[in-house]
Amino acid sequence: MMAFLTDFLLPCLYATMACVAFCLILNQRGLLLMVSSLGGGIAWGVCLLCAFTGSDIVQYFAGAVAVAIYAEIMARLLKAPATGFLVVGILPFVPGGGIYYTMEYCLSGDTQLFLSTGIHTFGVAGAVAVGLLLVSSLVRLLLGPANTARKEPKP
Amino acid sequence: MIDYDALLNTASTMGVRMLESGAEAYRVEDSLQRLCRAYGVDTCEIFAIPSLLIVSMCDPEGHSHTRVRRLYHRGTDLHQVDRLNSLCREVCRDTPPFPQVDGALARLAAEPGYPPAMQLAGYALVAAFFTPLFGGGLADALCALAAGTVIGLLKLPMDRIRANGFFVNTICSMAAALVAIAGVRLGVGQQLDKIIIGAFMGLVPGVAITNFMRDILAGDLFSGITKLAESLLTATAIALGAGIALSLARAVGGVV
Repeated sequence: MMAFLTDFLLPCLYATMACVAFCLILNQRGLLLMVSSLGGGIAWGVCLLCAFTGSDIVQYFAGAVAVAIYAEIMARLLKAPATGFLVVGILPFVPGGGIYYTMEYCLSGDTQLFLSTGIHTFGVAGAVAVGLLLVSSLVRLLLGPANTARKEPKP
Repeated sequence: MIDYDALLNTASTMGVRMLESGAEAYRVEDSLQRLCRAYGVDTCEIFAIPSLLIVSMCDPEGHSHTRVRRLYHRGTDLHQVDRLNSLCREVCRDTPPFPQVDGALARLAAEPGYPPAMQLAGYALVAAFFTPLFGGGLADALCALAAGTVIGLLKLPMDRIRANGFFVNTICSMAAALVAIAGVRLGVGQQLDKIIIGAFMGLVPGVAITNFMRDILAGDLFSGITKLAESLLTATAIALGAGIALSLARAVGGVV
């Protein structure tokens, strides 16, 4: 029970609070602030639950999918742009650590580790982006192109 | 009879405000298209990229009316994106006279964001909460709080005078890393990497990564690639700044 608290609930709480702080920077307000930050916490929980796969690329991918699903649902419930929920919720999944370690290996002259960490960071960022893309594409596919006003005008 | 000039001005102003607040290109094009249709213009063509907006329409006599708007500065303001989106929905539903829409746009633009002190707290707390998330302890979180505060103190005024983003990110990341190194040297912090990574999170290009994917998905390759380049540049700037700080510390005082 104690392990559940410290290893699962506490990180989710940290992620949520970090997203709240990020909302202050991005000027997200009121109800949208709370809802979008909660999305970040929930997605971090999903990411932790996927730890059994042993691959952080899979974990981050699952987290991004969770953020995207959450954002699409909330955007429709609250009639607000999905971008707001996505931008805030995805923050914990941006590979800041990867950027740092890549830089550090570059400094210490360890080319092998520098390259492998750099490529791994790219992989994580790619997994997050593909996770977002997958959900948004599916939503568009299901709701149909009628949802957009953009089309080629008659000549 | 449609007043094409007024429609062009109102629509392009709304588009510019949306782009400036960080809305995706497809959202801007889609919203303006709806807006023009609501006022009875079906011949509207819109092109939006992060630095340019073109609105063009053709009247029944065959004359073209075009407005080109160049954007020089772009930020992220989720509140404005949300409100502009709602305003656009309302306008499309009720089609009020143009001066009324212009007034609403001006009022929205005048709405202040969070006060600087709150934004500063944002930078500090992002760092303080991410450090324990990535495995740092309480002391590390305190160091990150200081580093995040320094980032905010540097970034907010530099953004206000619209300094170059690459430069701002490099300086901020360097200063944050120096604070973190000082914290570890003074014996407050334990894990330098966790502190610096936590402080980084206020600078990382999360918005650009999210939006570039959405733009590419919507077929706006130009906007998407612009934002991809932006996120790569930001990541490079952050790494560069921290790298300078770490090299400096190593040159001055041995292994960190």
